[in-house]
Amino acid sequence: MSTISIKNLRKNYGPYVAVDDLSFEIPKACVFGLLGPNGAGKTTTFRCMLGLVRATSGTISYDGAPLVPQTFERIACVPERSVLYEWMTVADHVEMTRRAYKKFNVARTRELLAQFGIDPRKKARALSKGMRTATMVALAIGREADILILDEPTSGLDPVNQRHVLNLIIDESTRGATVIFSSHQIGQVERAAERIAVIDRGKLALEGSVDDLKADRKIVEAILPSETFALNGLAGDPRISRIDRNGRIVRALTSRDAQDVLARFEALGASGLRIVDLNLEDIFLYAVSPADTTADVVEER
Amino acid sequence: MPIVLTVDPRSGVPIYLQVIEQVKRSVALGVLAAGEQLPTVKQLALDLTINPNTVAKAYRELERDGVIETSPGRGSFVRSNGSIESTKTAATDVARDAIEAAVREAKSIGLLADDIRSLASAAIDRWFREDA
Repeated sequence: MSTISIKNLRKNYGPYVAVDDLSFEIPKACVFGLLGPNGAGKTTTFRCMLGLVRATSGTISYDGAPLVPQTFERIACVPERSVLYEWMTVADHVEMTRRAYKKFNVARTRELLAQFGIDPRKKARALSKGMRTATMVALAIGREADILILDEPTSGLDPVNQRHVLNLIIDESTRGATVIFSSHQIGQVERAAERIAVIDRGKLALEGSVDDLKADRKIVEAILPSETFALNGLAGDPRISRIDRNGRIVRALTSRDAQDVLARFEALGASGLRIVDLNLEDIFLYAVSPADTTADVVEER
Repeated sequence: MPIVLTVDPRSGVPIYLQVIEQVKRSVALGVLAAGEQLPTVKQLALDLTINPNTVAKAYRELERDGVIETSPGRGSFVRSNGSIESTKTAATDVARDAIEAAVREAKSIGLLADDIRSLASAAIDRWFREDA
């Protein structure tokens, strides 16, 4: 059974549609990366998952049950913006968190704060952006929760501490926790996440396992015999999600079976055939690239 | 047990395939000896900062390919039964991928099967000269 299930989620702010019919599932103990351009609806999705805003329609369930106050004992989160109280010290936040939840590992949190180089006597207002993020991460990990919802948990951190946060996420998942996190640094998601969803303008653009997406999504490049060479039905091939043509050079984005697509090009008499691997950033950019920049896509009828 | 794997998560090659390829290469080269223990899934995931399920998937495939064996509670080890066999399997797998890629490239730029064959046999003659 999947731990978290989001079905047909929609959130309108007046006429503005922030999240538009979003559905995906996050299996238990999975590290799930949520990607999307700025304003795509990632934070709104997280806020709906945490019950901080009421969804306009759709459902979010945890192990098949809707979010109820008791569910919060099982969820730890790092919100996108600092929720620390400026006048309180880091140690005060540790104490406040200890009182708020039945389960909270104070020693572990203190150890993490020390690893991040945070002096617990400091007031929140004296912390840099990165150290605020690190403090919230330490408080969240200390919860030893079943589910972690982390909105940009590496934002403002230096590369060493970013890597540390990624390893904490990995460590939490080996403990059996389900982790969903967002990051603008696709390389981090590429490392730590097993599955990803890409959302664009509130809609789901892509979802799947990172390894499967990389195995399936390739560019098949070929040189055609002439600039006006007809691609006999290739544009309608369900394995090809996009074709870009530039003179005799044609590039097809495959959604699976790149070798078979390559064989089709070969059968047409194309030469210079090759399969180009795509990393997650390439895959992301293809998934969110706006329709009007694909003017050179050849649509065959 | 020290194991030096380097994966490039930013590559378009799935990470689990990179782990498989590197373990096979290490076994083929004898860097990983028969019976030697591999890091636990969790340890390798943390060492490389990659997803633990990705590591687990690589280990499952390596086991299926007969390169490693896993005993519950003890961990994963380079196969010791018929270790010459598994070393050879690993080496063949690595070499096959390299040859496939080279032949595909040669074909795509217009060479015929006979051209490629004579290139391959010239290369073999050159590299194995002292063995003749």
